[in-house]
Amino acid sequence: MTKSLRRLALASTAFLVLATGAMAQQTVVWWDFLAGGDGVRMKALIEAFNTEHAGEITIENTTLEWGTPFYTKLQTSAAIGEGPDIATYHLSRIPLAVDSGTLSEITDEDMSGAGISDADFTAAASDAGKVEGTRYAVPFDQHGLILYYNKDMLAEAGLIDDDGLPTGLDGLENFNAVLAQFTGDGKYGLSTPTGDRYRTIYSLFGQQGGTMFDEAAGGFFPTDADVAKLTSAIDVVKGWVDSGYTPVQVESPAALALFTSQQSPFFIMGNWEIPTFVDLHAKGELFEWGAVELPTLFETKAAWSDSHAFVVPANAGKEADADKRAAVMKVIAWMDQHSLDWAGAGHIPAYNAVRDSAEFQALKPQSDYAGFADTAVFDPRTILAGPAAPLGDAWSNYVNPATTGEIAPADAAVQMRDDLNGQL
Amino acid sequence: MLRDRRQEWLTALVLVGPFVLIYGGLFVWPTIQMVMLSFTKAPLIGSGDWVGIDNYLKILSHKLFHSAFWNTAYFVLLTVIPNTMVSLLIAMAVNRLNGWVQGFVLACFFLPYILPVSVVFLAWNWIIDVQYGLAQVFVRPFNGGEPMSLTRTIPAFMPTVAFVTVWWTMGFNILLFIAGLRNVSPEIYEAAQLDSAGRWRQFTRITWPLIWPVTALVLTIQLIAQLKIFDQVYLFSIGGRQDATITLVQYVYKLAFQQNKGGEAATASVLLFGMIVILSVLQYQVLRVRGDK
Repeated sequence: MTKSLRRLALASTAFLVLATGAMAQQTVVWWDFLAGGDGVRMKALIEAFNTEHAGEITIENTTLEWGTPFYTKLQTSAAIGEGPDIATYHLSRIPLAVDSGTLSEITDEDMSGAGISDADFTAAASDAGKVEGTRYAVPFDQHGLILYYNKDMLAEAGLIDDDGLPTGLDGLENFNAVLAQFTGDGKYGLSTPTGDRYRTIYSLFGQQGGTMFDEAAGGFFPTDADVAKLTSAIDVVKGWVDSGYTPVQVESPAALALFTSQQSPFFIMGNWEIPTFVDLHAKGELFEWGAVELPTLFETKAAWSDSHAFVVPANAGKEADADKRAAVMKVIAWMDQHSLDWAGAGHIPAYNAVRDSAEFQALKPQSDYAGFADTAVFDPRTILAGPAAPLGDAWSNYVNPATTGEIAPADAAVQMRDDLNGQL
Repeated sequence: MLRDRRQEWLTALVLVGPFVLIYGGLFVWPTIQMVMLSFTKAPLIGSGDWVGIDNYLKILSHKLFHSAFWNTAYFVLLTVIPNTMVSLLIAMAVNRLNGWVQGFVLACFFLPYILPVSVVFLAWNWIIDVQYGLAQVFVRPFNGGEPMSLTRTIPAFMPTVAFVTVWWTMGFNILLFIAGLRNVSPEIYEAAQLDSAGRWRQFTRITWPLIWPVTALVLTIQLIAQLKIFDQVYLFSIGGRQDATITLVQYVYKLAFQQNKGGEAATASVLLFGMIVILSVLQYQVLRVRGDK
């Protein structure tokens, strides 16, 4: 009896192996956190991939809640071997992910097997995917903080130059004068959601050449000058609130509505809102609009930035499957090579060949703000950085409330420094 | 009647066994594991080195733990007794109604209780929204005619969330009170009326003492539930100053899932567990003593 059972088991195993070998159909389980306007573009890309690779590779995609829910779920599921085969990730958070053992190494062979290499990306981007020389992520895009503007309102105020772009916004006094001009009668000079103000402040901190983190010099905001620069960056945004240029408390959807309902000519937000305005405009429900780099209010150009990347979770207890890995790498390479569609979501492709292509250069308004990529300020390379990490918490616990007058800007800067250094 | 003792044991084992096994495997064993974990420097997943009581010393001197403790205590103060009082008042009012009207009114009060917390959060977040919220009509007069964010203004945060919590959870307490009120025999009230006792006297001398066991139960259930407060506070504070309104369970969540410190999170959990045990035993004893006299 046992003998025949064993024989049956062997036979069925052999049959299974043969069957899978013959079909070679791979299913790649994919998790992302792209739920906004860019998520729609991503789903279209995935569908295009599935159609092109029908019978060969199928991506099964799931979109999860951005931030802590996504990263917690990814970490815990990978630890028990139930994670996806591929996931989107922020490059700023790679050090923390590697520290908690969530990610699997992506070797040079993996890369070359799919026909890509580090040379396809900028050195900064491919280095950001590595920890101590080991690669854990393949860059996909770069995104950052930009300035959306209402072309009609600006033209009326004589702030549009011959090229059709805003002019006269650089310099703090200039910019504040422009904001003052539009403020009044229930209207605001600028719309900026309270919960996102730290990104503006980090950009302005970068415009003063501040250092956020230097392990050798003592951690976060190592010198008094750095704390002073953070304070003056907070002061700028608090000044906008105090002067009534922007509402004290405003949530993201309401801030977006202020801009789309012409209550405010400017909107500071990440480039991921581009699809929202493109779609509204296409439906004939939006005025003429555009987007440019943040104005330079201090010495140098700078804007907050981060990158989306692809990672392979280290699924504990799951045996390495070379065919699966090859399929995953194929997905990554294909996505990067087709990231022109992703640029439609406002992001700047990380893949050099796409970014340098004539098609991308012709995209508007993307090419109007693409310059921010060269002067971007990223999160520092530390395990405290990234979304859903202590640095993100510190921004919302100290710096955002400082713009609404709950904490004095100088105190906020010192408290943020001490909190983060206490966690090192 | 003679019984086979062995068979009795067997029956008992069959009846109790599955429960003991599941309870032991899913509750007692993990609890022991958690206590063990609190003495190690473990990350969220996996094991760590033994560090003795270091975690306890560290957590007890952590400033954020102190604010989590006081915020939780404040929330308990704002919800437990108010919720019980409001529920009792409404239960007594509903109890005076008859027939389908009573059923309908009761259903109205019970409806919020069956909603998931996410729905409660979204509905109320919209009602109190600083730009478009209905509730701003009532907020403006108290804020010099200006709208005010009830969840982003720290002093208003806990009272707002406490109000929403009472609105959300009182349905169940009302049900318990109604069951208690129906148990009081009408003859006692009739006798009291014959002796010309007024409404207030009837309440203090008859209703209150007779439903005291229910009140004690409601207070205890409330205390335990509110000490474990997490969902509403977390949801309403997303994107804001979470550290300023952090509660104890949220503190555990932050340590474990945001900072990857499994050992310290276990320590904070053990401390919270201890607090709940001590407080609820203490409260129940105090309430029983009062009821006995």
